Amino acid sequence: MKDELPAIAMISDFFHPNVGGVENHIFMLSANLIHRGHKVIVITHSHPPDRVGVRWLLPGLKVYYIPFPTIASSATLPNYFTFLPYFRVIIAREHIHLIHAHASLSSLGQEAILHAHHLGVRTVFTDHSLFGFEDAASILTNKLLAAALKNVDAVICVSHTGRENTVLRGQLFEKSEDASALVVRPNVYVIPNALVAEQFTPSTEPVSSETIYIVVLSRLAYRKGIDLLVATAPRICSAFPNVKFIVGGDGPKLNDLLQVRERHLLQDRIELLGPVRHRDVRDVLVRGSIFLNTSLTESFGIAILEAACAGLYVVSTRVGGVPEILPQDMISFARPEEDDLFRALSEAVAIVSKGQHDPVEAHQRVKNFYNWADVAERTEVVYDAVIKSEQRDLWMRMQRTMELGPFAGPIYTIILVVDCLFFLFLEWLMPRHDLDFVQMHWEHRNFVQVR
Amino acid sequence: MSSTGWKKVLWETQPFPDNYIHPHSFLSSLRRNPNFKPYTYWPLVLLSCPITQHLATIFTFLAVFVRLKERWLDARVLLWVSIISFFGGYALCEILSYSNTVNGVPSRQTSCIAIPELFTDWLHQSGSKTIKSSLLVFLALMGLSPVLRTLTAATSSDSIWALSACLFLLNALLADYSTLKPAPHSQERLTSVLSMNAAISSSVVLASRLPDDLAVFSLVLFAVQLFALFPIMRHRLQVAPQVVQILFTLTLCVVSFVLTVPLSISVASIYAGILIAVTFVAPGVLVWAQKYKKQVTSPSFFLAYLLTRLSAVR
Repeated sequence: MKDELPAIAMISDFFHPNVGGVENHIFMLSANLIHRGHKVIVITHSHPPDRVGVRWLLPGLKVYYIPFPTIASSATLPNYFTFLPYFRVIIAREHIHLIHAHASLSSLGQEAILHAHHLGVRTVFTDHSLFGFEDAASILTNKLLAAALKNVDAVICVSHTGRENTVLRGQLFEKSEDASALVVRPNVYVIPNALVAEQFTPSTEPVSSETIYIVVLSRLAYRKGIDLLVATAPRICSAFPNVKFIVGGDGPKLNDLLQVRERHLLQDRIELLGPVRHRDVRDVLVRGSIFLNTSLTESFGIAILEAACAGLYVVSTRVGGVPEILPQDMISFARPEEDDLFRALSEAVAIVSKGQHDPVEAHQRVKNFYNWADVAERTEVVYDAVIKSEQRDLWMRMQRTMELGPFAGPIYTIILVVDCLFFLFLEWLMPRHDLDFVQMHWEHRNFVQVR
Repeated sequence: MSSTGWKKVLWETQPFPDNYIHPHSFLSSLRRNPNFKPYTYWPLVLLSCPITQHLATIFTFLAVFVRLKERWLDARVLLWVSIISFFGGYALCEILSYSNTVNGVPSRQTSCIAIPELFTDWLHQSGSKTIKSSLLVFLALMGLSPVLRTLTAATSSDSIWALSACLFLLNALLADYSTLKPAPHSQERLTSVLSMNAAISSSVVLASRLPDDLAVFSLVLFAVQLFALFPIMRHRLQVAPQVVQILFTLTLCVVSFVLTVPLSISVASIYAGILIAVTFVAPGVLVWAQKYKKQVTSPSFFLAYLLTRLSAVR
């Protein structure tokens, strides 16, 4: 039975030692898949000087750090062909059956989807974020995504809204059987993120009711709606003398926050913590009783979930997948504008000061909503469906790539064909029988015995 | 498994597979072309007037240059034309900005001030400064004109034509055609500064083909007026009534065309073709192309437009 479980390679530009939602998702999913008996490896780019080569992470997760330079926000340039020699050797050595690429801005993941089919390896892609359609950068990255997803075997999105967005961006629809209408491909799944509820327990001592702390933990960037926070915070401070803000995180909008704090003389009301490590998040959260999320776009909003789990009452903008993740009575929504956010925050302050929100009860409820084992199980179903589905041959992949459009189609088909020739060249240059195959994977049980 | 039981939530385990797509809820919040205001033809034609005016100035300049080079036009005549048009344009600008402040700011007091008082006021504030700086430019150009004439004299004429053509193209592409009134103390945009520099460089390069210093001086002075001062006036003129704008554009076009025709019929016909294409055909193409506009947004995807509004408020 165990031999039938596919060996999986997670591929993304975003992985440990960076921290973030995608990084954590890949690690937790891998750990739970390993727990279920899969063999899992991770392929990402290196972080010189010291995070290079092959590393092992607990619990037996092998990570390949490929020496590619990064351009911005820890993403590598689209290399296309330079990744293939590494990729081919790793996948062949590790006997991988299926690759799982993460994040649409990770070129490493998209290239892996292109290369994997030459080796007969199946592909799954998880999209973690929402993007627009109108600016030049979005148009370009959406086209890249559409090209990569043309031949992928399955797509996983983290929320229903995220799925709608990805379907539109990646053009994941095809002609229905009677060719009359476009229908969404049946291989687009929704599997939410999860959290480890034990890491986010509410504080044991009751929060003082005289001062109400509003916690904001976010990257201080435009996408996270820091402008909204900057506009609303002084109004809240003047309306409620017993409210204080705790803001954690770093980013380009930090200056705006500093300025507004100075201008309104709120140094003792708005506390700026700077970057907060993930293991300290819970300690920051439990200092407050309201969590504020001002994002303008959010695919899933794991930070909201963590805050709700730690027993905070959540106020959030109604964007993206946020309305899907918690029941209505645990969260107050606002339209992403100053006045409505002020209204929602005032209501939340009223609810909390009357003691109508019970942190312990909230924790108990969130604990039952999400867990990683469940996510891993549902992902396994996707893997299973992919392995059982029929594989597309090169000719069919070329035909599908040509459907991309009159300009993009031929360009990507040429890339595909050249990639295929390069692959054949590599097969000749470094024949498969010369490779050093991995005979055994890490077995923690064996390790303990030997010790 | 009925489709009624499905909810768009993630926190509940639902009896549906993960790739189940609810037929009614999927993409139900999608909006196509929100806040879409289609362009209409005639306002676009009016908006294209600045471009037409700019092209007309370029062709006027070229026609004048050819005449100077062939000695069909006396440099002194051009000099006097430049000086007179400078004062004429300056007065027009002052009148426009004055009428603008009266119209824009509804303060009765400004309109009640007596005219002579206003004049002395003006002389103290900006007038003396303007006269001083324009005199400085005038004298500097006069002193520099022998240098400018020999600056690129060694370069062959073919290179000069090609270079000046490129520079004028750059000038036309980067010029500031925006109709928005700039804020009083706003900085010039980089592109419009680049555009002006390209035109002046082009005129300097062309000046080396001229026979004498006086011709060089008058041509460069003319270029400064056309490419540095005229765009400022064009901007001011945008607050004027539409009839004035149209008449102004028409006059410029006719003048430049009349100046071009005697030199070369073929160039003049190409020029007329360009003007018609820019003024009448291009807006038509834009109006026609709007039917391909497909802007897809959903309130839940991305809210960039809200933020732009927010930053505009503050």
